[in-house]
Amino acid sequence: MSIGPDQMFFPAGGVVTAADQADDDDGLARGYRPAPPEDIYFPAAPMLDMAFQLLAFFILTFNVPTSETHLDLLLPTTPAALPTASRGLARPTSSPLVDSDLENDLIVRAEADDLGDLKSIRLGEAEVPNLDVLGARLRRYIELLGNRPLRVRLIADDRLLYEPAARIIAVCSAAGVATIRLAHPGASP
Amino acid sequence: MPRSMSSQSKVLTPNLTPMLDMVLQLITFFMMLVHFGSRLEGVNRGVRLPVAPAALPGASLTVDQLSAGLDARGNLLVGDETLDPQAAAAWWKRQADARRAGLELLDEPDAPFAAAESADLPTVVVLRADRSASYGSVRKTLAEAQSRGFARFSLVVLKREEP
Repeated sequence: MSIGPDQMFFPAGGVVTAADQADDDDGLARGYRPAPPEDIYFPAAPMLDMAFQLLAFFILTFNVPTSETHLDLLLPTTPAALPTASRGLARPTSSPLVDSDLENDLIVRAEADDLGDLKSIRLGEAEVPNLDVLGARLRRYIELLGNRPLRVRLIADDRLLYEPAARIIAVCSAAGVATIRLAHPGASP
Repeated sequence: MPRSMSSQSKVLTPNLTPMLDMVLQLITFFMMLVHFGSRLEGVNRGVRLPVAPAALPGASLTVDQLSAGLDARGNLLVGDETLDPQAAAAWWKRQADARRAGLELLDEPDAPFAAAESADLPTVVVLRADRSASYGSVRKTLAEAQSRGFARFSLVVLKREEP
């Protein structure tokens, strides 16, 4: 049985006196067995109030979980300056110097069939059987590059559906490609 | 003989423990879900997002976002409005001009954004393109925005098909 605080029994004044203690001792000596302890009243109402308020807060601010995510693209308006001679006095050189930035650019070509579905993917000149292989090759390439960022230029047919194109971009992004540029089909490599 | 009311009166204490348990479980449930993926702004029911399982959870976007959609035919969707290519170009220009004007107000007169009109804007363009749209239309939309100074784009995709 639960009892409220007003029903709890305490000695007058809330202090157990020596006389009370002596009476108790006498009772025990005479074989007196104390009654089993009463249930302690636990005021749950304030906690319940608080819990309901928290519940209301979370229900009101609840957003349905979704699998939406986003693919970030950085497409700067001004192209990155190529390394040239100082003060713009670049001179044509006879030796074919390899530009390190351009070297890090990989070209992914995606061809579409008549319906706009993905027909073939090429990484550079090599055909790639599927997107998993593309991701694996990109990851391997990034490992070889070390700390240098890898940039990918996606050249795809305009009639290609956006979904396969988004999958290619997602694979590139997940592989760790630093920058993905979208190029039109006639773009020169 | 009927017993009197006074002999039957008792203090009724409802057992609140199960209710408290239930409420705390509900709170735990909502707390667990509160940090899971939430929809980005600019939701349009007419746009079916592409599914890209390889997409990683994106980082949180910046405060300054510009949401736009692209329907299956490649038309720009702004709010509930569908814009043709001319109107879309004008809209991109208006948005870029408004942001440049805002940056000019915030920045010093000799700040880079105030000085160079072609400088990249810090705004993130959140594009929700329909999966049936063509890559060409998406690319042209991004190029149009890029020509107005937007450089940061976020393509919204689904990690898995939603019912």
